[in-house]
Amino acid sequence: MRYEFRIEGSVSETLSRAFPELDHHLAPRDTRFFGTVTDEAHLYGLLARFRDLGLHIEEMRRLPD
Amino acid sequence: MSTPLVEDPLLATKLAVPHQAPGLVRRQRLMRRLASGTEGPLTLVAGGAGFGKTALVASWAAARQTTAPVVWVRVDEDDTPGVFWAYLVEGLRRHGVLADADLGRPVRTDAVARGLLVRLASLLERLRTPVVLVVDGLDRIPGAGVHRDLRFLVEHAGPALHLVLISREDPALPLHRYRAEGLVHEIRERDLAFTRGEAAQLLRGQGLTVDDGVVELLLRRTEGWAAGLRLCALAMTRSDDPAGFARCFGASEQAVSDYLLTEVLATQPAASRELLLRTAVLNPVHPELATALTGREDSEQVLQDLVLRHAFVEPLASPRWYRFHPLFAEVLRAHLRSRQPGLEPWLHRTAARWYVERGRTAEAVTEAAAGGDWAWAAARTVEHLMVAPMVVDPGASPSADTFARMPAATPGPAPALVAAACCLTRHDTSGCRSWLARAERRAERRAEPPGRPPERSGRLTAALLGLLSAPAGADDTQARRVAALMAHLPPEERRRHPEIEPLRLYGLACVRRRAGELQAAREGLDEAVRACTGDTTVLLRHRCLGRLGLADAAAGALARAQDHATASLDVADRHSVPDAHRSGAAGLALAAVALERAELLTAATELDRCEQLPDTCRDPDLATERLVLRSRLATSRGQAQDALDLLDALTPAVGSEAAGSLAEARATAALARGDPGTAVRVLEEVPVGPPSRTVLLAEAHLAAGDARQALHLVAEIEGAEDATLPDRVRLALLRAHHTLLEGDEPAARDRFVQALDLARRELLRRPFTEAGPWVRHLLRGLDGRSSSCAWVTAEPSRPGAVVVEALSPREREVLQQVARMLSTEEAAAELGLSVNTVKTHLRSAYHKLGASRRRDAVERARELHML
Repeated sequence: MRYEFRIEGSVSETLSRAFPELDHHLAPRDTRFFGTVTDEAHLYGLLARFRDLGLHIEEMRRLPD
Repeated sequence: MSTPLVEDPLLATKLAVPHQAPGLVRRQRLMRRLASGTEGPLTLVAGGAGFGKTALVASWAAARQTTAPVVWVRVDEDDTPGVFWAYLVEGLRRHGVLADADLGRPVRTDAVARGLLVRLASLLERLRTPVVLVVDGLDRIPGAGVHRDLRFLVEHAGPALHLVLISREDPALPLHRYRAEGLVHEIRERDLAFTRGEAAQLLRGQGLTVDDGVVELLLRRTEGWAAGLRLCALAMTRSDDPAGFARCFGASEQAVSDYLLTEVLATQPAASRELLLRTAVLNPVHPELATALTGREDSEQVLQDLVLRHAFVEPLASPRWYRFHPLFAEVLRAHLRSRQPGLEPWLHRTAARWYVERGRTAEAVTEAAAGGDWAWAAARTVEHLMVAPMVVDPGASPSADTFARMPAATPGPAPALVAAACCLTRHDTSGCRSWLARAERRAERRAEPPGRPPERSGRLTAALLGLLSAPAGADDTQARRVAALMAHLPPEERRRHPEIEPLRLYGLACVRRRAGELQAAREGLDEAVRACTGDTTVLLRHRCLGRLGLADAAAGALARAQDHATASLDVADRHSVPDAHRSGAAGLALAAVALERAELLTAATELDRCEQLPDTCRDPDLATERLVLRSRLATSRGQAQDALDLLDALTPAVGSEAAGSLAEARATAALARGDPGTAVRVLEEVPVGPPSRTVLLAEAHLAAGDARQALHLVAEIEGAEDATLPDRVRLALLRAHHTLLEGDEPAARDRFVQALDLARRELLRRPFTEAGPWVRHLLRGLDGRSSSCAWVTAEPSRPGAVVVEALSPREREVLQQVARMLSTEEAAAELGLSVNTVKTHLRSAYHKLGASRRRDAVERARELHML
């Protein structure tokens, strides 16, 4: 399953590297991370990782496969 | 039991109210809310990282006037629920809240038994004075188990307990209901956000003079996030143009934490930046450790400076130790990985060396493992004899989990020894043996891998693991080797490893048991139980007592078996051992006792229960015991064919002792099916064993009509010293049966009464219930010749047994057909009734017997002598 996470603000290359399994795309006011999420555990792990880095999730959605 | 938890320098920091850095903004409005919140049962302080939750509750706790104790428990990342509850109980104890109450000490596993909570709640309920219990960092414990347990406490602990939960996530409690009932007071992110006044105070506290516009700007951009404001203050004090920094920050569109940390790192002097990056991967950090990692002597100063700025690190209650705020630790790690990829493992390895030089081997091993230096980590584990605690104490550090990711190909004998120990924690004895063989081959190759442990501890570890995983047929060579190697250890070293001797005694007793030396095994287990004195050997004590119970039962000492098995369960209950770490030995022993006493429901219940426990089916000894008991139960229930099928389906590869008891189980079932020929054949296939086997063979010969051979066998073992009570009872019965067959009924009765008198002491019913219909004949004819026969036919005592209404003759008939394994349709045809009528009678019979299934109903009816 593929997911997209929209993060508030732009995220630096340094912090983006904490998500090597996701691609990211910088927009003016937010950063979109997207990629394949293995399973539920991986999903929650990612959410925790965003939180641990102080990144706020504005939106999260499942992408069509 | 008021011995303190093993004192470690960081323990105090878990149970202490966190240190208050000077100059922290005192937030009166929130402190007032906490004060009123803690009048009620539950206060929840919830908000993201860096919102100042802990600081708020700590400053409230430090400032409060009342004498009611505040018990503080900080949760750390790797705490299991067992560790959490152990600290919580310890915290309450230290504040005198528990007085002299004996709660036992929870083992440090991944769950606690419910019993602990019940006892804790009832203790708290009886408290007359209030106590505030703060759980700091509830979100750091994985799973919802602790939440469920805390809910139990909230709802059952009574009015004296005031719980404060600090968490980044809402706990899994029914908060909506608590809100409706006014049970919870919440301080959430919007409350924790800094107000303009507080933000201004924070900036002034750092020596910054800024105008309202700047405060407003920072507040808007950080949304009142405390950590963000502190980072701003830190960056601005380093900047020539604080207002300019604020303007840039305000205009930036970067994520707040990302921007601030990058900026702050950029404004730090190179020395502190390097220190921050290099030490954040380790948590907690000591100035000397920081020096080892950075090569700079001024680490302590840098750390203290950071504390004063309320940024990045906070001091721990233990002197000179600091901890990174989790948010910053993560971001700093990300920066380190991006700036100096590949440095992280080196940092862990360097920290490992620093720890080991200070005698903190557990931390050293953990760091080495984190740095992927498996050979070194394993070598230290072996060198410092840390394999023994790893095998007995699931809370030990290092644990099997520490080495979960160690590659199988890690060179050297030590990693193979550690892998062997990991197998043993999963009751995988054959896996353990094959790793031991590998360790031996590697040691012979003398490849001298890095950090090879000294010979002696390696040999001791190998011998101990060899003993504990000994296959059937092993002798006591390994046990003697362990003892000899232990004797060479200096006394203080021996004292540091209190689990080795009980492990050795336990291993040796198991070897003896497997060799059929029952009496020696019992004595050995008894000795092992007495040697398990400390907190780290709780589980071993539980296991030894259970095995002792099993050995007692095998020796026919049923009352003792019951005592030991019950004691084993008591140990587990007292220490709140969760099912995942309990041993099935005690349950098997209770099942064995119940079977010998013909209490079939109890036996079935115990077996069902202990089959849920991991070692019952994984440990080869216990797996055999279980199989034998299951088949015996089926035989006793009159389902001899089921017993045989069971034995056919599962034939584990076992040693001769186990093969012997399996053969006995098979022969017993065959005999019950009226097939003495098979019984004789099965028993003659295995070597001559304990008297029980000979008695059984004699019974089979007698049943086959070969009285001469039976008597010949009986004469062989008459007066044998190792004949157990059940053996002697069955011998007397066999003679009675033989005499009866000869036609001398009065003499048969004499012998029968002898058997009864012998069996009475242990309430041994099985030899009578399974001997055949002739027993009933003799019993009927006793008429006062022995006043001692009532207990044989009496309904076995069963706690909670209900008075059962008598079955109607029709119900009884239907049940009899069912007992013959007929289907409903067949039973109907047999009795000339309609299927529906049969079903009605059955339902009514089930109802009277309190059973829900055929098998249970039949069994109940048999037990109550209704069939």
